[in-house]
Amino acid sequence: MADTKVFIIMTSGPDTPRRCATPFFFASLGAAMEYDVTMFFTIDGTLLLKKGLAETVYPKEGGKPVSAFIQDALDAGVKFLACTASTELHNLQPSDLIDGVKMVGGASMWQLTEECDTVLTF
Amino acid sequence: MTTIRGCNLPEDLYYLVEKHVWAKPMGNGVVRVGITAVAGKLSGGKLAAITVKAKNIGQEVKQAKSIATVESSKFVGPVPAPISGVLLRANEKLAADPNLAVSDPYGEGWVAEMQATDWDGEKAALVTGAEGVAAYQAKLEADNISC
Repeated sequence: MADTKVFIIMTSGPDTPRRCATPFFFASLGAAMEYDVTMFFTIDGTLLLKKGLAETVYPKEGGKPVSAFIQDALDAGVKFLACTASTELHNLQPSDLIDGVKMVGGASMWQLTEECDTVLTF
Repeated sequence: MTTIRGCNLPEDLYYLVEKHVWAKPMGNGVVRVGITAVAGKLSGGKLAAITVKAKNIGQEVKQAKSIATVESSKFVGPVPAPISGVLLRANEKLAADPNLAVSDPYGEGWVAEMQATDWDGEKAALVTGAEGVAAYQAKLEADNISC
């Protein structure tokens, strides 16, 4: 089942903390089920990849910060792609993002969604 | 019952130590598998779900590949297969009470049964008996894990 590809489009960001844990949780779960999982960050989702920012976003008061959910997903083997246009929207340079993120253009998003069996949007 | 660093680790099971899973031959090539007390501890102790992938029932799963997932509020992760084999059935009791895998990991809380496809070849990768428990103890000490 390693060939089953899942694509998760993440548009939620630090303005909506409660929407920022589950996408990573589902991504980790998919990887644990041997799916090939890619997360694509665009709009405000890209902000979560800014170094140091996710450490300050808490989906639940007293719970884990988003950075812990991100780390779980990376450890599980989830691939992270960031939309180049969205980095421009937020005046981010590639070097501002956490390690392990690959920058891709919007056309890559179209190609990847076509190749995937399931696409989720958050 | 053997307790190592607070973790119950029976000597009669076969362990894939790196993955914190156990295997127990049930006869006729059928092997029961589950998570160890250590895995229960690492997952945070209170589980929300253990789900065996339904599509895999009747299919062969290779050693160390995921046969199920464990979910808790603190953790999500795979239950890797301790051996290669055809997945025969899931423990249906876990659907109603996933925490059986923590409270009784080697009894009522088993995860699945598999028809082993290469038990004799693969059991060399597993550890068992007093030596096996000692090997597991070394892993717990190296990783500083206690139950």
